[in-house]
Amino acid sequence: MDQKVKQPNIFKRAFAKRGMGQVITVFFGLIVLCLVFNIVNPNFLGERNIPNLFRQFAPFLIVGIGQSFVLITGNIDLSIGSVLGMSCMTSATLMCNGWHPLAACLLTMVICVLTGFINGTLVAGCKLPPFIATLGTMQVARGIAQMVNNNMNTNSIGEFAGAFRDFFYYGRFLWFYNTFWIAVVVWIIFNFILSQTRTGRHLYAIGSNIDAAKLSGVSVYWTTTKAYLVSAACAGLVGLIQCATTGTGTMDAGLSYEMYAVAASVIGGVSTLGGQGILLGTVVGAGVWSVLSNGLQFAGVAVGPRNVIIGVIVVLSVLVDVVARSGRFSRKPKA
Amino acid sequence: MEGISKQFPGVKALDNVSFHLKGGEVMALLGENGAGKSTLMKILSGVYQKDAGTIRVFGESVENLSPKKAQELGIAIIHQELNLCPHLSVAENIFLGREKVGALRRLSQREMNREAGKILENLRIDLAPTTMVGNLQVSKQQMVEIAKALSTNARVLIMDEPTSALTAKEIEELFRIIRQLRDEGRGIVYISHRLEELQHIVDSVTILRDGQFVAEMPFKDVTLNEIISYMVGREIKEKFPRVTCPVGKKIFEVKHLNAGRMVRDVSLELHEGEIVGIAGLMGAGRTETTRAIFGIDRKESGEIILDGKPITINKPIDAIRAGISLAPEDRKRDGLCTKLSIRDNIALPNLDIVSGPLTTVNMRKVNRMSDEAVRNLQIKLPNTLVDAGSLSGGNQQKVVVGKWLARNSRVVIFDEPTRGIDVAAKVEIYHLMNRLKQNGIGVLFVSSELPEILGISDRIIVMCDGRITGELDVKEATQERILELATQFEKKIQTA
Repeated sequence: MDQKVKQPNIFKRAFAKRGMGQVITVFFGLIVLCLVFNIVNPNFLGERNIPNLFRQFAPFLIVGIGQSFVLITGNIDLSIGSVLGMSCMTSATLMCNGWHPLAACLLTMVICVLTGFINGTLVAGCKLPPFIATLGTMQVARGIAQMVNNNMNTNSIGEFAGAFRDFFYYGRFLWFYNTFWIAVVVWIIFNFILSQTRTGRHLYAIGSNIDAAKLSGVSVYWTTTKAYLVSAACAGLVGLIQCATTGTGTMDAGLSYEMYAVAASVIGGVSTLGGQGILLGTVVGAGVWSVLSNGLQFAGVAVGPRNVIIGVIVVLSVLVDVVARSGRFSRKPKA
Repeated sequence: MEGISKQFPGVKALDNVSFHLKGGEVMALLGENGAGKSTLMKILSGVYQKDAGTIRVFGESVENLSPKKAQELGIAIIHQELNLCPHLSVAENIFLGREKVGALRRLSQREMNREAGKILENLRIDLAPTTMVGNLQVSKQQMVEIAKALSTNARVLIMDEPTSALTAKEIEELFRIIRQLRDEGRGIVYISHRLEELQHIVDSVTILRDGQFVAEMPFKDVTLNEIISYMVGREIKEKFPRVTCPVGKKIFEVKHLNAGRMVRDVSLELHEGEIVGIAGLMGAGRTETTRAIFGIDRKESGEIILDGKPITINKPIDAIRAGISLAPEDRKRDGLCTKLSIRDNIALPNLDIVSGPLTTVNMRKVNRMSDEAVRNLQIKLPNTLVDAGSLSGGNQQKVVVGKWLARNSRVVIFDEPTRGIDVAAKVEIYHLMNRLKQNGIGVLFVSSELPEILGISDRIIVMCDGRITGELDVKEATQERILELATQFEKKIQTA
């Protein structure tokens, strides 16, 4: 009766936490990257570029968080980029038409969240394959982005919404740009939900074994929909940031951002098969992505080679983890 | 045919194990879960590499065995979980990876179908080579696996738990085929937990325990009890521990439940202090009944009464809230999130208990709950943070049970709780059910194994074809009586 249950100490627990191993590895890789870029161009870690780097990092992190939520449930959201574009165009058009920025933002977010709701209902309610369902909404959202201003990019919103652009883009707080702080707040909220609440547990359970989760009383529909809501809300928020960044609504805003989001998640150890990964991983994943694009730019690499290098590094980083994992497998003590 | 022997000194999983298999012999490889049977077979079929020792096939020493090389040597393995492509035909599955091609490397379907047909006919299996494998029953799929092995001209056939998903009649058919293969001079390694089956088929036994070789002997020289004590390393005093306690008031009742074709007009009741067994053949509607009660499948009509109050159960969460738990039949598919930790698995249905305001999960409570479950059920594990999938079958089952016992249920439904787990773990599960019974919790126990139904339950309900065909007190129940009830099929309307 008196079998002792071993509990590892807190330090070991932190490391044993699922996915922590990869997060640490990638984090060191990220530091090495930064140092290399700094050697190539000492301005990379200069006083001017660091806040800038963090500002570029924020959109990647936010969409990455959204995609991570969906990936953890074992699904995928391809509509992120289009929802981002839709958000950018809608908010810009409204502001150009004299709406108060706050009202414009609110309405935009409502529309985006609605898209997430539709995604969730299609995937978990109608049982469509997530790839197909979100491919459809991706096309629709992009179409809406083109429709709202009659297939034209909007004029500058600058004269209508100075405060809006300050809040999302120009403003600074404690040396860093607001954009970065927004990402921090978003991360804190969603990391809390994912790691500390029941909803979080349900997300992991669904991604790990949907039948077992169902039999344990988890509502698959609601939990999946929640993940898509988070994803769409994140995409919408980045759309607003994008709008403030360029100062106009661009129809092509957020093109292929859904894939950047997948990359950020996967580099950080979120499994595309579901059930695995932590948001700390998404942070380092998004970090790698933004450091690469910014750093290569600083190093004077042209767009073409830049994309090639980024692609190769993304695949390599995941490959390293796969190899490391298979190594761990063979050390498994008994069958 | 010569024997095979090998040794693996110094490894944890297998320590200096050896065995010999002659042609024309069926050898049972026995041992508890985690004894190293699977590892041994994986080495033999080339999936794992051995660290030491020698493998000799037909007298020749073999090194660096790979799955492909094993196949060339004529070693074939049929896994417990079948490895077939459901969307391909029988013939395509049989020749998967070795497809026959004609001119321009075009697949010659006709030849494959003919060859496959020949093999199936040889085995006297009634199966068209063009059927989709996904449309076949498990038993037929297994035949396809056997045919696939024979198509590679396998002379050593390893079968891992081949009967675990078969009905009595299908098992007989399988045994006929095994005997035929034996008579053709092939060697067969037969792995099973169902010791009762061995007498029909086995010529010799090899027993492993904790990765060590224990004994090897002709089957006729040992009794089942000796085999069990070899496997466990100690005498198991009672195979079916029975506890009697006074039967109290009625706690749970199902009235005229209908749900699809497999659950028709099912009524049953459950009292405090008793275990009610549900017996029946495969496909009798037992699992479907539990699923309907638990709200997984839609009910058409029927009433469920708990503690005198009628309750509605439309979704599993309704059942859980009302105090009904279900430990499902297929633990890998329905019971566990194998990639999550044991701690998270145990907490999953109980998050309402362990979470505070803002639905934050209180880790201290989760740890306490999982530690308690591990202690109570004596689950053997390194710590509660390891993946649930890394445990052995018996311990996985205990986790499934543990996650439900952590909340105070009024009724616990066990669906085949002892499938695929070893003798000692079975007894622990029985003890656990007895403990629940003594605490006044109603236990509903579905099982295909008549000895355990007879050994553990106080009352036995027999189902056939979606209906309840009889109810027996354990004192008057016998295997024959149950089987008779379990085969009371409805008379189909006959056109004169």
